[in-house]
Amino acid sequence: MMTFLKIAWRNITRSKRRSCITISAVGFGVGALIFIWGFVEGAHRQMIENYTSLLTSDIQIHQKGFHQSQKLETHLLNPETLLVALEKNAQIKANAPRIKAVGLVSSSESSSGVMILGVDPEKESSVSTLHRRIKTGAFLDMERDSGIILGATLAKNLNVSIDDKIVLMSQALDGSIASGAFIIQGLLDTGTEEIDKGLALITLRAAQELFVMPRAISEIAIRLNPAAESRTTARKLKDILPQNSDLEILPWQEVSPSFQQWIEFDNGFIWIIVFVVMIVVAIGILNTVLMGVLERTREFGILLALGTKRQEIITMVAWESFFLGTIGSLMGLLLGLALNTYFGKTGIDLTAFTKALNSFYIDSVIYPSLNVTHSAVSVMLVLTTSIVVSIYPAFHAANLKPVEAIRSL
Amino acid sequence: MRCEAQPRSEARRTDVYVERAPEAATKQIAKRESPKVKGKSIVGMNLIETIDLKKTYSTGKNIETPALRGISLSIADKDFVVLAGPSGSGKSTLLHLMGALDTATQGAILFEGRDITNIDIHKLTTLRLHKIGFVFQAYNLISTLTALENVEYTMLLQGINRRTRRKKSIDTLQRVGLDDLIHRFPQEMSGGQQQRVAVARAIAAEPRVVMADEPTANLDSKTAESLLELMQELNMEKGITFIFSTHDPMIMNKAKRLIHLKDGKITPAA
Ligand SMILES: Nc1ncnc2c1ncn2[C@@H]1O[C@H](COP(=O)(O)OP(=O)(O)OP(=O)(O)O)[C@@H](O)[C@H]1O
Ligand SMILES: [Mg+2]
Repeated sequence: MMTFLKIAWRNITRSKRRSCITISAVGFGVGALIFIWGFVEGAHRQMIENYTSLLTSDIQIHQKGFHQSQKLETHLLNPETLLVALEKNAQIKANAPRIKAVGLVSSSESSSGVMILGVDPEKESSVSTLHRRIKTGAFLDMERDSGIILGATLAKNLNVSIDDKIVLMSQALDGSIASGAFIIQGLLDTGTEEIDKGLALITLRAAQELFVMPRAISEIAIRLNPAAESRTTARKLKDILPQNSDLEILPWQEVSPSFQQWIEFDNGFIWIIVFVVMIVVAIGILNTVLMGVLERTREFGILLALGTKRQEIITMVAWESFFLGTIGSLMGLLLGLALNTYFGKTGIDLTAFTKALNSFYIDSVIYPSLNVTHSAVSVMLVLTTSIVVSIYPAFHAANLKPVEAIRSL
Repeated sequence: MRCEAQPRSEARRTDVYVERAPEAATKQIAKRESPKVKGKSIVGMNLIETIDLKKTYSTGKNIETPALRGISLSIADKDFVVLAGPSGSGKSTLLHLMGALDTATQGAILFEGRDITNIDIHKLTTLRLHKIGFVFQAYNLISTLTALENVEYTMLLQGINRRTRRKKSIDTLQRVGLDDLIHRFPQEMSGGQQQRVAVARAIAAEPRVVMADEPTANLDSKTAESLLELMQELNMEKGITFIFSTHDPMIMNKAKRLIHLKDGKITPAA
């Protein structure tokens, strides 16, 4: 065994140039794979972060059925105990109560359908970034329940601006007509069309009054600590919250399944890259090992003449590929980890491309993430490829006829 | 029924034994494969016997080259045989067949009295490993192994333990006069030195026979002569049978027995 290892190893060190090229190809492949994977994951994280922090938040809690019906009747009455329980949970960074309803907003010139969101200005600022997306004017404050924030596009469509008066109309909880006048306090510019075109923010108190539901809310938006995973935490909350059987606790993946699907679809592309890298590695190693085998035809003839068994020849050739694959992928692993660590700190500036990417919740600087599993998968795949690919040259060598192999020189 | 069952189960038992014991392996080979020539073999007298051996190479479409056209000969144990003959007369072909490296088209080969003509490739490999040493014209050595490792290689395949094989290899390399070069790689040695290592490798494992196909063809006459003398001595000392092929009259002169080939047939000495 040791001798076959030794022969395999020395064959690699002997044709240094060829081995170096192969090892570099493998290393580059693995390195690129890890880097690209880290980059895509970093981008996804950022997109998820930007997306969830804008409005969706990490987890939403409703009365059972609200997500489906979006009706005021399905609300959380007297949510104080629930809120206290959430406050105590270590995974949860912040929570904010909301009232959510559809309605009509009218200016003197025209009107438009909107999503009305009643929020607690202070608490809302800790679960979403809406308050940072005010283009003109200011965010809601507790003292002024007559204030309203409109999406910038919506305001433009209604031909209104700051300090103008508009009227909100909807149906209250008791079935009566809900109607109220508000003064535009700020305009929202998020870059997300459905928000800019269709959202109106008022204070929670104003909403409770408008919809005649003084002690009720529609939704609790939850922001998690960075380490907590939304789906796992949602599942845990289901077990520990009071009145849990009446609640629906939805991680953002369930609130916005289409966004989640888009991310998953995008992840699928990684496998195309993985496939390409595997082919490059396969060709590189096949080339090196096959050339090495063909060059040594006579030597294999001698080995066979001396009584070396076929499977011993196969082992010898397989070891050669394994060495090339191992060294290459370890170097690639180091390269990939180094790139991702470095760029994970400094970020990769994509300013040149950000215009096109704006609507995908992507920032101009992307921070590749380091993922142990992905790195290990990259290495394992490439290593497996390198061994699988050696099957052909190995069997070629093992099936040589000793006499013919020895005659060839 | 019982009579039939008995030998079969015995055969199976020896099959298991094949892996470890070459003797048993070759015995087994003979028992199974030899019925048609059984009567002719004279067990114990000759190391190798060929019976009307024919080898035809098919090259391309319908082109057949007869390399051996019916060779019947016996080679005695401890003999020192030289195969002579012009180029293309079939010397290498005959050596390869006797050395279990290739299979015949027709006829039979007996090795130690056992028919090896049609046995499978694995058994041929085992036979070569344990019974036959080879020295070819040139580039005999495994280029990635040192002289010592090359000599050890056969014994390693045989499963001989490290200490024994190391000691035997060093002794043998000493015997062929290469004590100083045991850690050299083939490309760091002269052609003559390489051939000596090849001889050392062929004999270190103490085979029954060494087949050498023009082992001196690439050497100058002085080196060739000393290599030949070395083999003569080993033949006397260790009783290893040697079979050579050569064009070289000097070598023919040293033969205990000279076999002339021409056009794939044995001819009386010219
Ligand atoms: N692999 C092969 N395919 C076709 N023909 C072959 C092959 N090997 C040998 N021959 C033919 O068989 C005949 C005998 O060849 P062989 O090599 O045994 O001769 P030789 O006596 O060893 O010659 P030399 O002294 O040149 O080595 C020749 O006619 C040769 O052309
Ligand atoms: Mg020849």
